[in-house]
Amino acid sequence: MTLRVLLVEDDAALRNTLRDALQVEGYGVQTAASLSEARALATHAAPDLVLLDLGLPDGDGEALLAGLRQRRSAHGNTPVLLISARHGEQQKIHLLDAGADDYLVKPFSVGELLARMRVALRHRGTRLAPAITHHRSGGLLVDLAAHRVQLHGADVHLTPTEFKLLARLVRSAGQVVTHRQLLADVWGAEHVDHTHYLRLYMGQLRAKLEAEPAEPQRLLTEPGVGYRLVEGEPDAD
Amino acid sequence: MPAGRATITADRAAPLAWAAGAAAWGGAWLAMLGLDGTIALAHQALLLVLGVALAALWWPAWAALAGGALGVLAFNALLVPPRGSLWIARWQDALLLALIAATLTVVLGLITGLRRQARQARQHQLQAEQLRQLGEALRDASLPLAHAGALQAALAALTRGPAALLLCRRWPLAEDSVDTIGTADADETAGLWHALRQGQAMGPGTGRHGELDHWILPLRGGSGPAPAALGAALLRLPGPGRGDDALRAHAQALCDQMGVALQRQFSRQAAEAATAQAQLQAVRNALLTAISHDYRTPLATILGAASALQDQGPRLDAQQRGVLAGRIVQEAGHLARLADNTLQLARLDAPGVVLRRDWESAEELVGTVLRRARQRAPGRALRARLEPGLPLLLCDAMLLTQLLDNLVDNALRHTPPDSPVELLVRRAAAAGDAPPGVVLAVRDRGPGIAPAWRSRIFEVFQRGEPGQVGSGTDSRPRSGTGVGLAVCRAIARAHGGELVLRGRNHGGSSFECHLPGAVQPVPAEGSP
Repeated sequence: MTLRVLLVEDDAALRNTLRDALQVEGYGVQTAASLSEARALATHAAPDLVLLDLGLPDGDGEALLAGLRQRRSAHGNTPVLLISARHGEQQKIHLLDAGADDYLVKPFSVGELLARMRVALRHRGTRLAPAITHHRSGGLLVDLAAHRVQLHGADVHLTPTEFKLLARLVRSAGQVVTHRQLLADVWGAEHVDHTHYLRLYMGQLRAKLEAEPAEPQRLLTEPGVGYRLVEGEPDAD
Repeated sequence: MPAGRATITADRAAPLAWAAGAAAWGGAWLAMLGLDGTIALAHQALLLVLGVALAALWWPAWAALAGGALGVLAFNALLVPPRGSLWIARWQDALLLALIAATLTVVLGLITGLRRQARQARQHQLQAEQLRQLGEALRDASLPLAHAGALQAALAALTRGPAALLLCRRWPLAEDSVDTIGTADADETAGLWHALRQGQAMGPGTGRHGELDHWILPLRGGSGPAPAALGAALLRLPGPGRGDDALRAHAQALCDQMGVALQRQFSRQAAEAATAQAQLQAVRNALLTAISHDYRTPLATILGAASALQDQGPRLDAQQRGVLAGRIVQEAGHLARLADNTLQLARLDAPGVVLRRDWESAEELVGTVLRRARQRAPGRALRARLEPGLPLLLCDAMLLTQLLDNLVDNALRHTPPDSPVELLVRRAAAAGDAPPGVVLAVRDRGPGIAPAWRSRIFEVFQRGEPGQVGSGTDSRPRSGTGVGLAVCRAIARAHGGELVLRGRNHGGSSFECHLPGAVQPVPAEGSP
């Protein structure tokens, strides 16, 4: 079945380029040049994924995101990827906190876009379906149900807070998790401004899980936004 | 201001002066009557003259004259025989009385004249002192308007009526660029505006509107292409047509001092604004020149490769097409970074820039920068060295990674491909009680930068010249360096830090970003 992508982008050249690139990959693409158009299409066409450019002339995209999130149907968790300009961090973080799945900063390559879309589509449904409980990447194995972390076959001992932090990232593996989301989910809503907790515990996690903590290969930093655990390898079984 | 308190009055008929005159007058009569019979009539006549002359030293002229006339009549009635009547028995006594009257007239005339001269001299002295004090205060003042109240008080004291001022706050003249000090009715306000625009006085003695009961004087700014006046003053007079020319001349002199001071202020401001504008224009031009140069090179590469693909596509083999496409992607990435830097520089240059500071770990920032650099330049020797236990930084992560990205990019592009680039983070030397700062350094083993260029390389319009600065095996000009390094320094300074370039022993450059320390946050409580 062809996956349907709703592309909301007001610049015609970029819109057409992305549409062609996505169609080559086999996606069914519908395009919208404004938020009002996008809202209409999102309601009627039920896309599998939305690519939303920030900085559209008729709004900031929050209403569209809220509309997509409110629907309790099977489409209620349609992944939303934000496309933001370099200097639109505030709005981007705001929408990520509000439930957008991930973001790309302009200019980006088609390869990056496809990789992000792949991760977002894989996570589709996890909001309703059982969450991801396994993660495997480059010798790291995390089993959330068994509360077990292994690195190259050897057990790694994590403190409860370290484990909670890693578990939160595993559930969104391959996608960015904002500082605010991490702090709220691991420490509680009253700690959402205590970014320094994250710096400390990410440092500890990296010391245990990375070969070279100063050059992490798994627990990546998204400056000013949050953290991203690299995409997991598909399970062998 | 002291000049405001130095009131200049036309006459000072204080009660004390009246008493002194009366004492002289009465004393003379006491002596005349007390010594009556002991001394001759001629002695008494001289005592009378003395008393009246002494009284004239304190009394105003009319009172002294009246006192003299009364004295002569009383002398005739009380002392000249036959006593008790104004009848004069002997012609010698009549002559005596006539001589007394004549002498008194002459003496009183002389004394009055002398007193008037003394009064005028004192008044001139006070006026000169007042002018000097106002002038000095205005000369030292950067804002003449601060002394407007003193001028208003001085003018009010001159005419003994409330004064009002209309003053230009800035030039050129506009409805909202003037301040009114004191109160004036609609007619008076219209008069003030007229005087301000025309630079002409009106009121009694000025030749314009002599029927008015006030003077309106312009605050003249002096000669030259200056505007006629920079303000106007309203002086209310005791009645229509009153007020003398000398007083008006003095008031005009006071007003002109304020006018000159205002004009000096406006000229200074105009000169400063012109200088700032010229500097801004120069920086802008330099920036535009640098940017257009930096953009042209990658654009030319992109256009060349893209048009080759478009025109010759079918005749190129797959590998050739791949090379061209790769070049487009690479140069477009370069352009994107250039655009980021240019925008960031403009943003940081703007007044009131707000940083999004948060607690950041130096290790994470360095890790992010290294990862990006490895993607851009696979195969280059890149290394990070971090001192253990570094404090957290309170900074804008996007900006600091941009700074380090630029420095690493700069080092990679201007050193030979086999030469290593190192990212080093260490504590700064402690300075007093302040929390320790952090130094982030990007170090290379390239050809280095000549000492003369080390500070200039951060200026946006400077690019190291090939050969002189030495670009090693890379013979291209340091394209993009101008904006890139300028934005690095702007980012460091926005954080209260500084970016410096130091030469290294055994060759190479070390770009060092010094950031001030911050009191560390309280670590998370509860479970580890």
